[in-house]
Amino acid sequence: MAVPNLVRLIYRNTRVNTDPASLVILLGLPAMYLVFFGFGFQSLTGGGAGPNSYLSFLAPGIMAFQAVMAGTVGGSMLWADRRWGMLAQLLVGPFTRFEYLFGIMLTSLLFGLVGAAVMLAIAIALLGATPVGLLGVLAIFGAIALGSIFFGSMMLLISALVKSNNAYNSIQVLLIFFVNFASTVFYPFSAALPLALRVLFSINPLTYIADTARNGYRATLAPINGYEMLVLAVETAVVLFLAIRAYLRSDVSLE
Amino acid sequence: MNASFGGRGLGTGANLGDVALPGTVPNGEPVISADGVRHTYDGKHFALDGVSFSVARGEVFGLLGRNGAGKSTLIKAMTTLIQPTSGTLRVLGHDPRHEGRRIRERIGVVQQSESFEFTTVEGNLDLYGFLWRVPKPERTRRREELIDRFGLSDCRRRRSFDLSGGQKRRVQVAREFMHDMEILFLDEPTVGLDVLMRRVLLDSIRAEVRRGLTVVFTTHNLEEADYLCDRIAVIDQGRILALDTVANLKRLYSGKRTIDLTVAAADAERFLPALTAAFGPSSQITTDGRSVVLLVDDPKAALATIVELVQRTGAQLEWFTVRQNTLEDVFLRSIRPEEENRGRP
Repeated sequence: MAVPNLVRLIYRNTRVNTDPASLVILLGLPAMYLVFFGFGFQSLTGGGAGPNSYLSFLAPGIMAFQAVMAGTVGGSMLWADRRWGMLAQLLVGPFTRFEYLFGIMLTSLLFGLVGAAVMLAIAIALLGATPVGLLGVLAIFGAIALGSIFFGSMMLLISALVKSNNAYNSIQVLLIFFVNFASTVFYPFSAALPLALRVLFSINPLTYIADTARNGYRATLAPINGYEMLVLAVETAVVLFLAIRAYLRSDVSLE
Repeated sequence: MNASFGGRGLGTGANLGDVALPGTVPNGEPVISADGVRHTYDGKHFALDGVSFSVARGEVFGLLGRNGAGKSTLIKAMTTLIQPTSGTLRVLGHDPRHEGRRIRERIGVVQQSESFEFTTVEGNLDLYGFLWRVPKPERTRRREELIDRFGLSDCRRRRSFDLSGGQKRRVQVAREFMHDMEILFLDEPTVGLDVLMRRVLLDSIRAEVRRGLTVVFTTHNLEEADYLCDRIAVIDQGRILALDTVANLKRLYSGKRTIDLTVAAADAERFLPALTAAFGPSSQITTDGRSVVLLVDDPKAALATIVELVQRTGAQLEWFTVRQNTLEDVFLRSIRPEEENRGRP
């Protein structure tokens, strides 16, 4: 039986993005955050690697961070394919523009989920037993899946609009910084934060993903998490629409 | 700066566009037909401006033109990357606007710009075959055959970034032969290839054409076009200026010879007007600085005239040849009257 085009494209995307350098960025960087930040800041708060430790706070945040990393993979794929001519080449092959786009989105999703699973495994290895149950696992991976599509769409939007490599890299680095550090990935939301930061925290989709992943991981899911996922779904739909529109209007090549 | 002496330049005396037969299919069913195709990128200027032609199955059809002439835009329209603004275009019986996939599943395209995956040479070939649904055993067979044919054995395990420009180009061309197709579009495929590889590619295309492949080929290289193409369309400013078989295009000047001469810089000012006057206002003379190209019926008589002129003016000739007409002459003579009509130098 012939393999569907979408599956072919996902296989292709995975194959060209699983070189050692890409894997170090995709999995090594979050793992290093988890280990270095986890043990480093834990020394400030005191205590061991128990369920109330900073490490156990950070671990679900780093899982959520995989959604951002997955998004950068998607954006980088479109950018690289435009830059190195493969988008134009694939689009004169037996693929439609939509198949190509959804191939990238689903590859991002796959990378996000696999990355989160690896981080979960590392967290369990470092922390020992976790109270996470089936519902928690579903919440973690559901939030990360939705987040991967959100950030994938956002990075696709950027890579469809920018014209230079420097611009793309600068925007990506800045975006990752703001999204990461103005969220609850590394530290909890607090009324003591400056107002501007509190606003940024509140509107940052990564906060919703991290909160849901954290509550799922600790088996403390609350109705607020459902509300956060609903908001994230709406935001994702809007950004996905904008990304598709920009992509369909963009040049297939940067030549 | 180019300039043309005399009332009729070389091209204006023989308007190739008038004698050519755009749209005529020499033999067989047409696999591509274009009628009045226009395309604009900005809504103001037309990259394609009323292009009409047909390509028959099994034909090698050449598109000849300068940079920006419209060749690549035409290839993009035929391969469904862009949609014509107006006009009718059919490829393999399908309209690229609405039936793009049906076309793309039956064509191969080597684009002008480089394109490659971040994998090894053999990975590139294998992955491309996979994307084109070529079964694994057939993929492996084709990959090995192409690696051998295009001289890629030494770099087969090197990644794309580690390849030279010529090696990348060879991979890009070889890759397209990983799958079956009915029409192969080649947009300046030999750019970056050395002489040997250029010949390997052209011979590969010829072999495929003998098996029934139709080829649409753009190039700057007139020798390649002469070697490969059954028919040629000379395109400039988005319009086809001449379209015929290579033999017919050359036959337009079959009884004539071309004289190329270059005069010393200090003598050009007095020699060139005298030369134009000697050959008459209807002579087919084109000058470029101090170089002159003359199209003549009787080279002996022309030679005598030039020798007499040299003696009379005391000018020093630095270069002088008499030769058969080439496709380059055809090309230049079809382009230049267009420039003159537009008042360009």
